[in-house]
Amino acid sequence: MTWLYVAVAAVLVALRLWWRRRARARAAGPSAETGGPDAAGRRRLGRLGAALDSFGGDVGLVARREVRERVRGRTFRIGTAVILLAVAAAVTIPVLRRGNHVHDRVGVVGTLSAPLRATVVAAGPAVGTTLTLVDEPSQAAATRDLRSGRVAIVLIGARRLLVDQALDPTDTSTTALLARVLSSTISLQAGLEAAGLAPARAAQLAHPRPLAVHSLQPPKHNQTARSTAIYGLILTYVLLTTYGTWLLMGVVEEKSSRVVEVLLSTLRPEELLAGKVIGIGAVAMLQAALIVGVALGLGAALGSDLLHGAAALSVVGSLLWVVLGYAFYCWVWAAAGSLADRQEQVQSLAFPLQLPILFGYIVSFTALGNGAASPLVRVLAFVPPTAPFAMPVLVATGQTTWWQFSLSAVLMLVATVGVARVASAVYGRAILRTGGRQHLRQVLATEAL
Amino acid sequence: MLEFDGLVRHYGEVVALDHLSFTVPPGQVFGFLGPNGAGKTTAMRAVFGLVALGAGTVRWKGSPVTADDRRRFGYMPEERGLYPGMVIADQITYLARLHGMAPADARRATGEWLDRLGVGDRADSKVEALSLGNQQRVQLAAAFVHEPELVVLDEPLSGLDPTGVDTVSRVLTEQAAAGRGVLFSSHQLDLVEDLCQSVAIIDHGRLVASGTVEELTTGGRRRLVVKVAGDWTGAWAGALPGVTISRTEGGAVRLVLDEGTDPQGVLAAAMQAGTVEHFGFERRRLSEVFREALG
Repeated sequence: MTWLYVAVAAVLVALRLWWRRRARARAAGPSAETGGPDAAGRRRLGRLGAALDSFGGDVGLVARREVRERVRGRTFRIGTAVILLAVAAAVTIPVLRRGNHVHDRVGVVGTLSAPLRATVVAAGPAVGTTLTLVDEPSQAAATRDLRSGRVAIVLIGARRLLVDQALDPTDTSTTALLARVLSSTISLQAGLEAAGLAPARAAQLAHPRPLAVHSLQPPKHNQTARSTAIYGLILTYVLLTTYGTWLLMGVVEEKSSRVVEVLLSTLRPEELLAGKVIGIGAVAMLQAALIVGVALGLGAALGSDLLHGAAALSVVGSLLWVVLGYAFYCWVWAAAGSLADRQEQVQSLAFPLQLPILFGYIVSFTALGNGAASPLVRVLAFVPPTAPFAMPVLVATGQTTWWQFSLSAVLMLVATVGVARVASAVYGRAILRTGGRQHLRQVLATEAL
Repeated sequence: MLEFDGLVRHYGEVVALDHLSFTVPPGQVFGFLGPNGAGKTTAMRAVFGLVALGAGTVRWKGSPVTADDRRRFGYMPEERGLYPGMVIADQITYLARLHGMAPADARRATGEWLDRLGVGDRADSKVEALSLGNQQRVQLAAAFVHEPELVVLDEPLSGLDPTGVDTVSRVLTEQAAAGRGVLFSSHQLDLVEDLCQSVAIIDHGRLVASGTVEELTTGGRRRLVVKVAGDWTGAWAGALPGVTISRTEGGAVRLVLDEGTDPQGVLAAAMQAGTVEHFGFERRRLSEVFREALG
């Protein structure tokens, strides 16, 4: 655990130093143009830009500006750093916790025969832990150790088991599992010994070799696929709302600062809209790739089970739906931005757009928690606004086939084309219209410009 | 040559452009004048396809303006417009690129224009950090950076201090001298008459007068400016036959003489009113052209 704290602290210190350097470079003023780190960064970006220059014409120019300005912005850098820290924690902590639980102690008061001791120790691996026995001088000392957590369970001879807290029948913690296993095996073995069997024989009977279990089919989608899908859902939700809001604010910024009129003197509205959507989308995908890359890299390095079994499919499915979800929603957010007149209207415009995203997210998240998708989720998986959340759940719980997945994706693409058409019509008409917040019906009812 | 041909635009009941036609020749600073709300902005936006016209066409070199033509135009809208949080040099370079310049040319031209407009030292600042006057200079750089064949500037002089006005006037004159089209609007007719070679004056979306400043200001009735010591109202001239008081400025009275009115009679009346400090003929002002045209 300690090294995790060290790692987090090191990252924070590095970030802090980097900011200070930047701030100093900024304070140095115009000289940054010739030698400052900012200027060097700009030159690097410039070279990258030059390499892409022939790409995409005017739309490409608009998109590249978006990427450059966003990636250079403080919001993106701090946001990415925070998300990466969260991802690192999400990957690392379960691994460390798993490590913590490999060892438990069982306190023993009084005497316990060697075969019984062996039986107790052997019960450990069955519940996912290794056990050591601690001889307690008295019951009082054992109670103390139990309260302090030094031992998980106390055996009073072979007669009684003592745990700290009463066990709930549904409790699946290591201590509960251990208590159940021990209470039956020790009782059985002690009973057999009392019935006159040799201790070794009694131990053998109390601890029979388990039957091998064979199956007709490979295991269904497992727990790890589900937890991977949960991370996928969170990522989809965060990216869709964050970058949707960026698009909305970006459009409002252009409209409220009136720079849009300068831009549209040489660009068509659709070109500006497409460039914006592509540029911000590229930043979103860059961030998603960074997050997934770090999660997978760290997971692989630490031996996390994030990618075991069907989880890989879940990752690919989630990423595909992040892309499809962005493609669907981006147009709506941008069109909504064109209706605003001032930055203050961003909140009221963003709220209704967040509702379907939030709805899909919550319903899907609940389904994943239950381990199986409800009929509602199965339907939502084919409804474009909620499909980016619901379909990955079906993938993780193994409740879909490849053709259902493809059908949902095709429906999504068709819907995206429709939404993009309506949105760019709204954008084209509303973006130059000033004098207060525009209303959708009124915008659609009038001719262009 | 830019031609406005029969432009019509209504905003609900309001007529913004009413069959407006005039021609902007290249190589001249062309003033597009008229009171506030006359339709100047709507007409200028029509050049860039930013308004849907009810009727009429804007032509460039004889054919309707295309997207390619607009790439070679420069535009400064009335409400201005730059990204407030973007570094100025990046911003101007970006706009130059949108107008089709190669990356290196765009960067070079950006530096040159910012220097030329006196804001070169602020190239690395963000627009929002600049004073309004300097923001306006940056805005001009945005209109000129790609060496456009035609610039359309909506009220470029408003909000500028005298140095700024001089800078802009110089740039406009240079551009026209280089053979480019320069169209700019203003609602302050008299302020810009020295700057323009030709003008179109509009009111309520209709053309009121157009031609060279020379033609418009030298024709018509004669103007006399008379200053009589101690007189501030020009009351002495009020009763003179064939004479109308146009206005009084700093004690000088500007008189419009009807055809056949003898200036000597006016001089005699002035000398009777007091010591004559100034007596001379002047050209018509553009505001007078405007008022007379409206009747």
